[in-house]
Amino acid sequence: MFRGRRKPDDFTAEVEAHLQFEMERLREQGMNEEDARAAACRNFGNVTQVRERFYESGRWVSWDHFWQDVRYGLRMLKKTPGFTAMAVLTLGLGIGANTAIFSLVNALLLKDLPYAHPERMGTIYMRTTGAEAADEQRNVDGEQWQLLRDEVPSLVSAVSSMGTNGVNLQAGSRVQYLHAGRVSAHYFDVLALQLILGRNYSADEDRPHGPKTAILSYALWRTTFSANRNVLGQAVLLKGEPYTIIGVLPEGATTTLNADIYTALQASREGEGGGTNFEPIARLRDGATWQQADAEMNRALARSLRVLSFAKNNPGEQRTYYFVPLQKAETDALRPRVLALMLAAGFILLIACANLAGLTLVRMLRRTSELATRLALGASPWQVQRQLWIENLLLALLGGAVGVEIGFLALRGLLALLPQHFLPVAKVSLDSRVLAFTLSLTLLTSVLFGMLPALVTRKVDLRSSIASRTVIAAGTVRLRQALIAGEVALTVVLIAAAGLLIRTLIHLETMPPGFNPNGVIAAKASLDNVRYHDPAAFRKLLDESLAAMREIPGVQSAALGLTLPYERALINGVILRDGKDAGQEISTNEVYVTPGYFDTLRIPVVEGRTFTQADGPDAQPVVVINQSFARKFLHAVDPVGRFLKIENKDVLVVGVVGDTMLSSAAELNAGSAPLTKEETIYVPAAQINPHFLPLVHSFFQPSWIVRTTGSVEGITAQMQRGLESTDPNLPFSGFYDMKDLMAATLTTQRIEVALLTAMASLALLLSAVGLFALVASIVVQKTREIGIRMALGSTVGEAMLQIGRSGVSASLVGIFLGLVVASGALRVMRGVLYGIGVYDPLTVAMVVFTLVLVTLLATILPTLKIVKIDPANTLREE
Amino acid sequence: MLQGTLDLLILRTLIFGARHGQGIARAIQETSEEELLVEHGALYPALQRLEERAWISAKWGISSNNRKARFYSLTAVGRKQLVKETTKWNRLAKAIARILGSAASEG
Repeated sequence: MFRGRRKPDDFTAEVEAHLQFEMERLREQGMNEEDARAAACRNFGNVTQVRERFYESGRWVSWDHFWQDVRYGLRMLKKTPGFTAMAVLTLGLGIGANTAIFSLVNALLLKDLPYAHPERMGTIYMRTTGAEAADEQRNVDGEQWQLLRDEVPSLVSAVSSMGTNGVNLQAGSRVQYLHAGRVSAHYFDVLALQLILGRNYSADEDRPHGPKTAILSYALWRTTFSANRNVLGQAVLLKGEPYTIIGVLPEGATTTLNADIYTALQASREGEGGGTNFEPIARLRDGATWQQADAEMNRALARSLRVLSFAKNNPGEQRTYYFVPLQKAETDALRPRVLALMLAAGFILLIACANLAGLTLVRMLRRTSELATRLALGASPWQVQRQLWIENLLLALLGGAVGVEIGFLALRGLLALLPQHFLPVAKVSLDSRVLAFTLSLTLLTSVLFGMLPALVTRKVDLRSSIASRTVIAAGTVRLRQALIAGEVALTVVLIAAAGLLIRTLIHLETMPPGFNPNGVIAAKASLDNVRYHDPAAFRKLLDESLAAMREIPGVQSAALGLTLPYERALINGVILRDGKDAGQEISTNEVYVTPGYFDTLRIPVVEGRTFTQADGPDAQPVVVINQSFARKFLHAVDPVGRFLKIENKDVLVVGVVGDTMLSSAAELNAGSAPLTKEETIYVPAAQINPHFLPLVHSFFQPSWIVRTTGSVEGITAQMQRGLESTDPNLPFSGFYDMKDLMAATLTTQRIEVALLTAMASLALLLSAVGLFALVASIVVQKTREIGIRMALGSTVGEAMLQIGRSGVSASLVGIFLGLVVASGALRVMRGVLYGIGVYDPLTVAMVVFTLVLVTLLATILPTLKIVKIDPANTLREE
Repeated sequence: MLQGTLDLLILRTLIFGARHGQGIARAIQETSEEELLVEHGALYPALQRLEERAWISAKWGISSNNRKARFYSLTAVGRKQLVKETTKWNRLAKAIARILGSAASEG
């Protein structure tokens, strides 16, 4: 735009040079100095006119006018620092909230995954028709994985374990607790990650019972192995067995597992591979298409037992497998939440703009006489409008600049709130796309809040404006009331949404847990270790370590359980032995525990007994069930003394205990509450099936729990010593109490509540400010009128009521509108509410109460100024 | 002078190399044997216009008599434009000459 811009000085110099050349030429022809100058000027013509033409031909005029307007605008903004600060802060908050949330949207939904050609990466979804219609991401079993690997030539496929497992790594003399992931050969090829050292697993190493090898994450290589390049070929003890290190991942590499150390999956069709326990990912080979891959996959998987048996049991129903881009699959669960947040942020921006529209409107009207004067002095309406728009733009840009700052801080706070690996992306940042979004948002806001004042001031009437001091028409007050009503309505929707989430969280957190969580300290350790594949060694560890912990002063009792309340439990199949459901196989949560478990957690015994040391490996197999199990599967008819068949053994039910809260693993079971009471059976740790032990421990890390009287100093160190006294190479993964466990289970809910509450509060604050500004400006405008009324006998109270009414009525309309909108819109929240309905009377009451309170505050405060109005003064001013 | 004629003359003048404003004015006057009297001032809006169209470019330099001057030179676009405009002008001139010639013979 400014290319070839030339300064007028430069042009003047050129003209001067021209005249000099001409004079020189004429002097050479024999003219004297004076005549030469005159002749040169004559030849040139009108110098001033040429200079003017130069000036006007350039962009200098409009540029100058623009700068003039900008400087004038800045002066006007400086003259009203209160307005400017308020406007910039309002915009900054609105734009900041949007910037922060958009950077999430950007990172999760817009940006590519941090892999080469992410569009060629996918994972498997399955569409089922019929009674159990579903369309969701699917894992595969061992057989399906082999079919996928060998019979889908369009793809490089890989599978990984579901999530990571806690394991112990012993390198040299140091033992540490780590998160290990198991991945098939080619897993890192699919992700297109180049190892910085070493190589990927070979096909041989990925075969069942193949050589045991490990690939290190960059962080582990740096910390535990001091970035030693000779680490390749070194042996480490992982899960008690020697593994050879064959590679190191690059720095900052993200995988679908984000483990500390990776071992080969060595998938088979048995054991783990008997169920759909493998997460597939695939990369399209060069030249292949997804259509080809889908067709090949369906052909291959149609031969798998799982699909065949489904077809046999569900005639007429169909299962279709298809690939979905990894990006979409990874963000599927978060997408609606993030978009809801973006919508909330949009509401806040609208509220901010409505506020500003009201404020600028008043400002413009106060400047009517200035504008009228400018028009009278010959400014064109376009020039006046341009001036106003430039002021709006300046405000918006200032607000945008503050917004970027606020957005940056908000984003940092937001990310600090999220647990590690909560998001499937490595980092969320304010990149150029976010900044471009913010800039366009800024421009949009200037239009949004500038439009209304611009329309109103277009109608400024010259004569009446110059004559009268105030020209606030009743119409503009009504306009501002409408704006306030709109703001309040949006605020109601946001607060109602936040209120419903808060009520859900409170409901979940205050559900009776079924045990006494106070005074319990827990610690996990990994028994995924060859040493503990032997049941005798396992029993010895439990007995000795628990005995040592009971010795700690202040410890009342100590016990061990595979999982604890608030956690997700192992699911196992149990066959019912008697009653009308005899022979039916059901699945239930199963927890192995030591005898002190129920006592330590204070889980009430309802009937029969719990376990004792006598329930050993050679004694009659026994089981304790919870009330839900008794109700659901034994119909609560004399459960004690009946038998269940667990892993081909007849097991005697010896007791019934109360239900406890369990995590339903909501990320796996869409639509279920994150905490539920489910049917559970407890088996003695001493009677666990020896073949089952290694498998169970590869998925779960058991918890040692102690109940203490009050706080015990150094309890964690003493617990660690208690464990070390039995096995010096067994570290705890960390210590926590039951509140931590509950918090971890309710992470998603807590984050949602925190974010939405923050946004709703912001909306409330902005609405209150808007309301306050409306009433305050009416007070100022009507000072004269109030003075006259009071002189004629009106009381202060009446005057306050009369003025305040405009704010209150606007707000009431807004509350009503908001409730109507919320009753429709918030129905989409049904899936995330537990324990309450969308039409929760308490939430509605709280919303109305909050808004009425804020409305009264925001209207009464500015009307207090009326008390100071002295009728005598106002009349004298007249 | 006809609209566009001055532009054409300026471009033509620059074909032999860079010149400053006064040089261009003199050249036009001299080559037209003082037939075309250009008011020197009128040259500058035209130069400005041509520079904006990027037909000519300008640079401050030192003249033969050691004076600072703004030198204009033909750009590649300008050169092409000159050829085009010259052809057009010649055609126009011929057409006008033909019309005038026939009018003279008729009268």
